[in-house]
Amino acid sequence: MNDAVITLTELLTRWFDTPIAAIALTLAAYFLGMQVFKLLGRPNWCPAMLIAALLIAAVIALLPVGIDDYQRGAAWLMLLLGPATVALAVPLYQQLGQIRALWKPIVMTLPLSATLASLYAVLIAWAMGAPPEVLASLAPKSVTSPIALSLTEELGGSTALLMGALMLTGLTAIFAVEWLCRLMAIRDHRLIGLALGINGHALGTVRAFEISHQAGAFASLGLSLTGVFTAIVLPVAWHLLF
Amino acid sequence: MQVLRGFLWLLVGLLFGQSVVPWLPVALPAGVVGMLALTLVFLLRGGIDADIAAVSQPLIGMLALLIMPGVVEIFFVAGRFADQAAAILVALLVGTLASVASTLWLLKRCLPATEADTSTAP
Repeated sequence: MNDAVITLTELLTRWFDTPIAAIALTLAAYFLGMQVFKLLGRPNWCPAMLIAALLIAAVIALLPVGIDDYQRGAAWLMLLLGPATVALAVPLYQQLGQIRALWKPIVMTLPLSATLASLYAVLIAWAMGAPPEVLASLAPKSVTSPIALSLTEELGGSTALLMGALMLTGLTAIFAVEWLCRLMAIRDHRLIGLALGINGHALGTVRAFEISHQAGAFASLGLSLTGVFTAIVLPVAWHLLF
Repeated sequence: MQVLRGFLWLLVGLLFGQSVVPWLPVALPAGVVGMLALTLVFLLRGGIDADIAAVSQPLIGMLALLIMPGVVEIFFVAGRFADQAAAILVALLVGTLASVASTLWLLKRCLPATEADTSTAP
């Protein structure tokens, strides 16, 4: 019995020596998460991604492998975030005509919206006594993860806390957009997409693509403009304040 | 093959971003620079390359999957921030709700509503 456990431990350690096991675990959890998500009746407060992340966390906690072993392997999968970000050029270009027609209102609203998305959270956390490390992890919460990660490192925040903040922000934004749009009788897919992209980064954009192609394209626009604007303004504003 | 050719172009865009980033006055990620550059290329050529379109669709659909591994870590470091949990949760939930409300209000006021009817048509 003891020998069997030792062999199993050895086998698992060997599995996680290469990125294959971590990638397989991520994909398996993703598909299982989708299944559970469908079984639950597609609740918008609990997306497939959260279920999948919980599954992975549970598997890592149960197996004799550490989060570091998993992260090392999964980093290979996350490498694809780079090309995926570049790929957003396609929906962006497809909606360029629409965007050009609307550049004035977009230029007028987007900087203020992107600023407020960060400012509200930082002010609330600051008023409740959070230390600068936490504030630095929350400030880029509405920005797409590749930008947010480089921003929070620059400001001195925690990347793990930022990833959690990104997820919670994305979920809250999706929920808030759907709830408030119903309340405010907003049915314009351009507007819904922009709001999802500005406040809910990639998670909101994924949701917007589920609504319609147009909403998705406007979400990509909101996501990229918020990202660019925050990347430029946040470090400057931060060093003026702290 | 088409997907691989498109993927190669995305990597070229990313490499271009990586080479330009050190010269920029702000710390933009290479992916965003690549995205903006590729949009500019489409603009100059007056259309989207079929290879790139073929690879973009599945890659964008995978975005949630690609973010997931980063999310897993929070469950293991959550304890470190336990004493700040209330501030963090309130800031994220209330802050995001407030920012979505202001965004929608601003957009509703500034976006011309005339075209809205066409976009809601099925």
